Amino acid sequence: MTMSSTLNIQNLTVSLRSGLPLLRQVNLTLEPGEVRALVGESGAGKSMIGKAVLGTLPPATRVTRGQIFLRGQALDHLNAAQRRHCVAQSAALIPQDPLTALNPVRRIAPQITDPLTRIHGWSAERAQTRALELLDRVEIRDPARVMRSYPHELSGGMRQRILIAAAFAPSPPLIVADEPTTALDVTVQKQILKLIRELQKEVGTAVLFVTHDMGVVAKISQKVSVLFQGRVMEDSTTEAIFSNPTHPYTRALIAATPSYADPARSFSPVPPELIAQMKSKIAQEEIL
Amino acid sequence: MADVSLQTTPRVRSGRRNLRLWLPLAWITTLGLAALFAPLIAPHDPLYQDLFLERLPPFFMSGTEPGYWLGTDSLGRDVLSRVIYGTRIALCVSLIAATATCLVGSTLGLLAGYFGGWWDRVISRLIEIWMAFPPVLFAVLLVAVMGTGLTSVIVAIALIDWTRFARVIRAETMVQAQMDYVDSAQIGGARRLTTLVSEILPNVLPSIVALLMLEMGIAVIVEAILSFVNLSLSSDVATWGSMIAEGRNAIHFAWWVLLFPLIALFLTVLSFSQLGEGLKQRFDPVLQ
Repeated sequence: MTMSSTLNIQNLTVSLRSGLPLLRQVNLTLEPGEVRALVGESGAGKSMIGKAVLGTLPPATRVTRGQIFLRGQALDHLNAAQRRHCVAQSAALIPQDPLTALNPVRRIAPQITDPLTRIHGWSAERAQTRALELLDRVEIRDPARVMRSYPHELSGGMRQRILIAAAFAPSPPLIVADEPTTALDVTVQKQILKLIRELQKEVGTAVLFVTHDMGVVAKISQKVSVLFQGRVMEDSTTEAIFSNPTHPYTRALIAATPSYADPARSFSPVPPELIAQMKSKIAQEEIL
Repeated sequence: MADVSLQTTPRVRSGRRNLRLWLPLAWITTLGLAALFAPLIAPHDPLYQDLFLERLPPFFMSGTEPGYWLGTDSLGRDVLSRVIYGTRIALCVSLIAATATCLVGSTLGLLAGYFGGWWDRVISRLIEIWMAFPPVLFAVLLVAVMGTGLTSVIVAIALIDWTRFARVIRAETMVQAQMDYVDSAQIGGARRLTTLVSEILPNVLPSIVALLMLEMGIAVIVEAILSFVNLSLSSDVATWGSMIAEGRNAIHFAWWVLLFPLIALFLTVLSFSQLGEGLKQRFDPVLQ
């Protein structure tokens, strides 16, 4: 139901100013504590969904149709300030690129505690304690020292941990994780994924997990939305997607995931005929 | 435990970079002291005319009079004392005019670069129109309309040169506005103006400081030019520009009247621009 869902997106269409749609009538729901993966190739509109929810769509794009309900609140009924406040109270972002997501000229501490004191009304001490606790939780060795550091003094993996700590610090009902492991090397990726999963369970946060990696999908999510050219091709449980994918594109995506056992043979790209066929189908529907 | 350790960057600063900061600073401090204590330091009254002592050469030439270290001008006024008193006007103009220019230009640049849309359209058109005016003619016209005097010079500099700040700061703000940390601040519930002031401004501050220093040098030159064409202050106040203008007539047989204020002017402008670069490097935690 709408009222109990953490996030409910109905018929969301986002277009460029030129009219080209980036998202086409997307529907999805996210129940409290649930992890939903958004998968698809680059340009499929995975990140756009997160940006539309959080209100950070690029200036050249706009929502042309549909509605977003965040914990039952219709976001398009709010003015800019109310909307920002509502999003800040209920949601947080784990961004893709840890190198640009922290302000280079500000120390770490205020970058974690600012939203806590500003939006959630915590005292400075409480925010500080919570930040240290979370930094410790994401296995940062000397949290007090890291809090006083500037971002350039820390490695990419550490910065990503800090961003995860910052996102989870207010225990928000919703976190959008926008390919949080793509910018990291494989060994760090695994640790980061583990951390997100553990914290998600502890805090009980619902996560919208954007990724193009079917391996990650299998590890972290309960539900999956498969996107192609801004359209949801398949929406199902993770179990069903892997055991019984109904859409040929989903089958092709799973087949395109290399296996460690037999890397040379297992890699098969999505067939171009299938892509051409799906594109023409979308184009036809657009005309009608 | 985390396998990534905290790296501390050693503050390596080459001797040359230090010189770039300290040499200009030394010269400007000297000027500041000279301006402040001019009545104590100057050996003579800068306005006192003694026609028996006209065009005395400086101390290292023959035919000098003791006490007139840098010689006298065509009216027998002491060149050294006039150069010392001239620093008052030069520093006063450079400080006030450059700060005013900086405030106007940077504010408009920040607003245009971050808010975009109508803000950017209006401010950008204004910059383009402004820059189509020939600056020297504009300055002469402004001073002619407002009347000669220090205030007119300062207002003229600010009104003409704000575009220098606005253009550069607008471009830098636009680059910063696209960084992920700006989105993160928005998702964290920061108001737009707060984001601009506390997230973006610190990142463009090194450029503002460098431009401010450059502008101080330019202000000294503009004041000298306006003095040169007799549009700055009445001739009973010693300024470097008016000294250069007067010395021009006697350059073949009393070159010192022109040379010493010119050296002071040259060193001051050079110092300000070097100080700007030095401070920019010092300010920026990433460049350190």
